[in-house]
Amino acid sequence: MRIAITGIGMVSAIGMNCSETLQALLNEQSGIGSMRVLKSVHTDLPVGEVPYTNTELKAMAGIDSTEAVPRSSLLGMLAAREALTMANRTCDAFISGTTVGGMDLTEQHWLDYAEGRAIENICLHEAGESTNVIARHLKSINQSPFTFIATPSTACSSALNAIILGANMLRTGQAEAALVGGAESLSLFHLNGFNTLMILDHEPCRPFDASRQGLNLGEGAGYLVLEPEERAIERDAHILGYISGYANTCDAYHQTASSENGEGAYLAMRGALQMAGLQPSDIDYVNAHGTATQNNDLSESSALMRLYGDCMPAVSSTKSFTGHTTSASGGLEAAICVLAMQHGFVPANLRWSQSAEGLVKPVGHTLFQPLKHVMCNAFGFGGNESVLVLSKEGSELIEGGLVEKVKCHDVEVANDIDVSAYVSGAEARRMTPQMRCVVAAARKAIQESGVGLPDAIVCATRWGCMLQSMRFLQDMISTKEQQLKPTPFIQSTHNTIASLISISTGNHGYNATYSQGEDSFACAMMDVRTQLSLGVINTALVLEFDERVESWDNVLRWIGEQTCNIAKATILER
Amino acid sequence: MEQLIEQLKSQIIEALNFEDMTPADIDADAPLFGEGLGLDSIDALELIMLLDREYGIKLSDPKSGKAIFQSVRTMAEYIQSNRTK
Repeated sequence: MRIAITGIGMVSAIGMNCSETLQALLNEQSGIGSMRVLKSVHTDLPVGEVPYTNTELKAMAGIDSTEAVPRSSLLGMLAAREALTMANRTCDAFISGTTVGGMDLTEQHWLDYAEGRAIENICLHEAGESTNVIARHLKSINQSPFTFIATPSTACSSALNAIILGANMLRTGQAEAALVGGAESLSLFHLNGFNTLMILDHEPCRPFDASRQGLNLGEGAGYLVLEPEERAIERDAHILGYISGYANTCDAYHQTASSENGEGAYLAMRGALQMAGLQPSDIDYVNAHGTATQNNDLSESSALMRLYGDCMPAVSSTKSFTGHTTSASGGLEAAICVLAMQHGFVPANLRWSQSAEGLVKPVGHTLFQPLKHVMCNAFGFGGNESVLVLSKEGSELIEGGLVEKVKCHDVEVANDIDVSAYVSGAEARRMTPQMRCVVAAARKAIQESGVGLPDAIVCATRWGCMLQSMRFLQDMISTKEQQLKPTPFIQSTHNTIASLISISTGNHGYNATYSQGEDSFACAMMDVRTQLSLGVINTALVLEFDERVESWDNVLRWIGEQTCNIAKATILER
Repeated sequence: MEQLIEQLKSQIIEALNFEDMTPADIDADAPLFGEGLGLDSIDALELIMLLDREYGIKLSDPKSGKAIFQSVRTMAEYIQSNRTK
């Protein structure tokens, strides 16, 4: 099967649609500047902000201004509408990565919530719910009646992982057409979080430059419509390009830092090329992850140099235009790659002037040249490394029906289990009690099943690592964004647990996390079963995790859910 | 100085969540990173925050922590000459 891209849509600091984005890229016009919509005390930090208030975005989407809608969802709606309109079709699968989800509303309304008000805003907090909000909107304007919705939440690689799942579902006949990508707004939460890591530049960022001082956060959304080439030809659709290869690995090095030699990034890039049946010399352009932190750019350069050697293609980081749109970046940048292929140009890597040893030399200014094959990188916390290869002409990808027979081995761990047999004291010091339980369950399942290192680790979590998230949120509000501790932020991402297990065992295999309400586990299983069916993996560890936080009880009562701690592990074997 | 060292040990244990450890378990002259306590880059950020919160010392470059955080003693010496509270 060849997977055709028949629609793209994008929203970011440099444009509210494809044509505005294209103009800004060609004019080398950056969208990074002072914050205007986000209300933070850290006004000295530049951001790549979409220059419209929520009220203005609601007006653009035709939504009542009084309705509670996360900003991530608003950005997502506009980009998704563009992609579906361009493709001129509906999709049955909608896969949209995010980590922020409704955090913007939660932080704005937290003090009211503490006094028993504003609960309708807080209950949109869940990452999966912010995707549901987009889906409901698209349904209401008859753009798509989705039968499958999933929200990958693997920090900054979330949207690229959404594209991977969508492609795997097409290849196994689990979807006819998929709308895939991601949406993420700025939030005080992750602005302050990244600030505690001391990796935010106080000037506009300079990816791959010797003088780089860190990243600027951005916001936006980017989606692709994927369908089998055959279907696209049948209905006479305009094909913009193809998905020809992809891979996800775990760097298995550290929760927030990339390994010096970029092992995970190297393996993911190599895997994506292999899948596409291409040689390094076939790639014309790499849209790098290129965040402009000291660590990322060195590590990514090292991986690029290892893979490409003497045939280094043109490289640039479009984060120099948009800022780092975190969970949306894989979708936005993949859509930018499609634009670049369509119009035959390599986007500039703005503000680059000084090279340094160990760093690739990016393209300083727009380069006009035909692009046949393009690579797009997105790397996230936990060493979650995803790489996509997009092509003007597609490669034939293996397809296969969903295998029915899968061997299962379940382990559920109660809260009173002695975790010390599975989790060392040094490891445990950064984990909440419930995190220790799920890690213990994972290790117990691996031991009992005798599978060794599982080929894939996938976690299902509705609310994510809530205790650490709420710690950071409450500190941030009570201190007015001052002197915050980095550890709760680092441990707050949804994919903390799946990453932790890979890191502790040096497992470079596939790693993903889904947040989708009651369907979180079903999403994780869809991911694992499509990969088992395609023969990409033979074994998988699937985790279920949720932890009770007292301050959240009212929200759960409001949506009619039970408060619960969950720590389960299942081993699947083909 | 010795009093500051003891106080600092307790603050480190709390900031880095060493639940089962007491100040007596930490050797003031042992390396904090690598061997010794085996701290990593996240801990370095926590220690930078600790200096700010408890002693009013602001480090803007995370790399500058390297020399200061060699041991509890080097940290205490730095605090004594640079503290603003």
